[in-house]
Amino acid sequence: MTDAPDDTKGAPAPAASQEERRRDSDDGPRLRRAEDELRARFGEELREGEEAQERVGVSREAIVELQHVSLSFDRPILENVSLVARRGETVVIAGESGTGKSTILKLILRLLQPDSGRVLIDGEVINDVTYEEALVIRQKMGMVFQGAALFDSMSVFENVAFPLREHTQLSDEEIEARVREKLEFVDLEPDRVMEQLPAQLSGGMKKRVGIARGMAANPAIMLYDEPTSGLDPLTTGTITRLIIKLQRELKVTSVVVTHDIRSAFRMATRIALLAERKIVFSGSPEEMTASQDRYVQDFLGGV
Amino acid sequence: MRVLAVQQYFGLAAKAIRFIFARPFYIGDVIQQMDEIGVQSLGIVLLTGFFTGMVLALQTSVQMAQFGATMYIGRLVTASMIRELGPVLAAILVAGRVGSGIAAQIGSMRVTEQIDALNTLGVDPIKKLVTPRLVAALVMMPVLTILSDTVGIGGGNVIASVYVGIPTTLYWRTVWEQVASSGFVLHYIPTDFVQGLIKPFVFGGIIAITGCFFGINTKGGTEGVGHATTRTVVVASVLILVVDYFLTQVLLFLFG
Ligand SMILES: Nc1ncnc2c1ncn2[C@@H]1O[C@H](COP(=O)(O)OP(=O)(O)O)[C@@H](O)[C@H]1O
Ligand SMILES: [Mg+2]
Repeated sequence: MTDAPDDTKGAPAPAASQEERRRDSDDGPRLRRAEDELRARFGEELREGEEAQERVGVSREAIVELQHVSLSFDRPILENVSLVARRGETVVIAGESGTGKSTILKLILRLLQPDSGRVLIDGEVINDVTYEEALVIRQKMGMVFQGAALFDSMSVFENVAFPLREHTQLSDEEIEARVREKLEFVDLEPDRVMEQLPAQLSGGMKKRVGIARGMAANPAIMLYDEPTSGLDPLTTGTITRLIIKLQRELKVTSVVVTHDIRSAFRMATRIALLAERKIVFSGSPEEMTASQDRYVQDFLGGV
Repeated sequence: MRVLAVQQYFGLAAKAIRFIFARPFYIGDVIQQMDEIGVQSLGIVLLTGFFTGMVLALQTSVQMAQFGATMYIGRLVTASMIRELGPVLAAILVAGRVGSGIAAQIGSMRVTEQIDALNTLGVDPIKKLVTPRLVAALVMMPVLTILSDTVGIGGGNVIASVYVGIPTTLYWRTVWEQVASSGFVLHYIPTDFVQGLIKPFVFGGIIAITGCFFGINTKGGTEGVGHATTRTVVVASVLILVVDYFLTQVLLFLFG
């Protein structure tokens, strides 16, 4: 990692300078009012977020990294996007729908390749690896899909056991023990759900099984695509707590795509806001509420 | 764009064939697919085979009566069923039933991100999804064809004895004469059987790969799954008929 990009956006700016800039700005009073309002609205979530940051501490080791990545389909989707997730961190990628959040996850998983720029996993550049090498690299990551993407022809047990059967030499007993452990971790009763098919499960249960499958092989990195979208507020809270539990107990590095800013504040050590092909803001939830950026304010105000 | 698609089609076929010989073997998936193909298509294949044999006997009895050669109905029904109609009709039916099913299943896995999930879990979807379906189709298509041929020739027997008054023993003797007339491969295997089984083997491959190809390339939600199934049926049926012609030429050249 000799030529890491200057990471000015990624590194949390010292709180003091942030404070000063806010004071100096012309429309300070208006923004200060906005910030207070936001603090009032998200106070509790922000406190939880702060705890998360304290837990993570000061690890500087980048696990997931995008360096100046650009990607176009029929039109440009991402332009010069840089992003770092350090060991143990939970980086939230927020932004309106259609801005390319899922695309970033697919780049990290190397389901897509960037037109330019580099993607690094665990310090290794994955741009030009072969398809077969990519299959191996992906085993470091657990992905939770927006619609859970459970294999609908397999039972819950077979879904969670799938990565273990594919990539480990575990015996049948060990696999069953592991599946039970993971289902219990996501607050499901193994004996009640194991033999069920995905079609028989509620949305929230599917998400949990998706998380259990993603974490089954104990990956160092967890990726979540809109983990709380389409869920009722209660279930949203449960899933958010689950992600925080994963971070707290297993110390996994997480990248979470969401437009649910409330759960973002609760779990994020850092939030990157994606808009119009670029990352327009990156910093802690605290810094986000304090940001003077018009777009950030609008984004927070609009939710 | 079209050229690229053709290239992708053959790329998929090549990879799926290569994976037949590479670990891990998804035996359970192969058996499940064989079961599905059998269950889905056995009924229609038998029914249409039976009626095809009957109509062949009916038509040839009218033609043969002009020459006073109705005792050869069995030979004509057998030659047509084994060499041509059995394999082609069974394959077209299976393309409609199983090929479309494969496209729908894999297409919905595509749009619900299950294919991405396989990739993410470090498993090649071609190995896990395409190869088992290919193997199952390669095995089941000849089996279904043999059954279709058999009931077809049996249907001919019914018409020959009921309408033309040919005794069943005579009918089956002419059937055997036909089978023996084109010679044997390796002393024991009738050439007609070889020809009649190479075709369904190839058609099975076409059906599985076409269904998987359109399934994997499904775009745009549930609607896209519908497109994938229709395209599979059309493309697979056309491919079966076109490949049948050229395959027949090659087989006639090789075996006469
Ligand atoms: N495979 C693809 N081909 C063409 N366009 C795509 C493809 N995948 C995504 N897009 C487009 O890229 C944009 C970003 O998509 P996505 O990353 O899914 O957004 P988000 O997750 O932020 O809602 C969308 O406008 C989408 O239509
Ligand atoms: Mg998305």
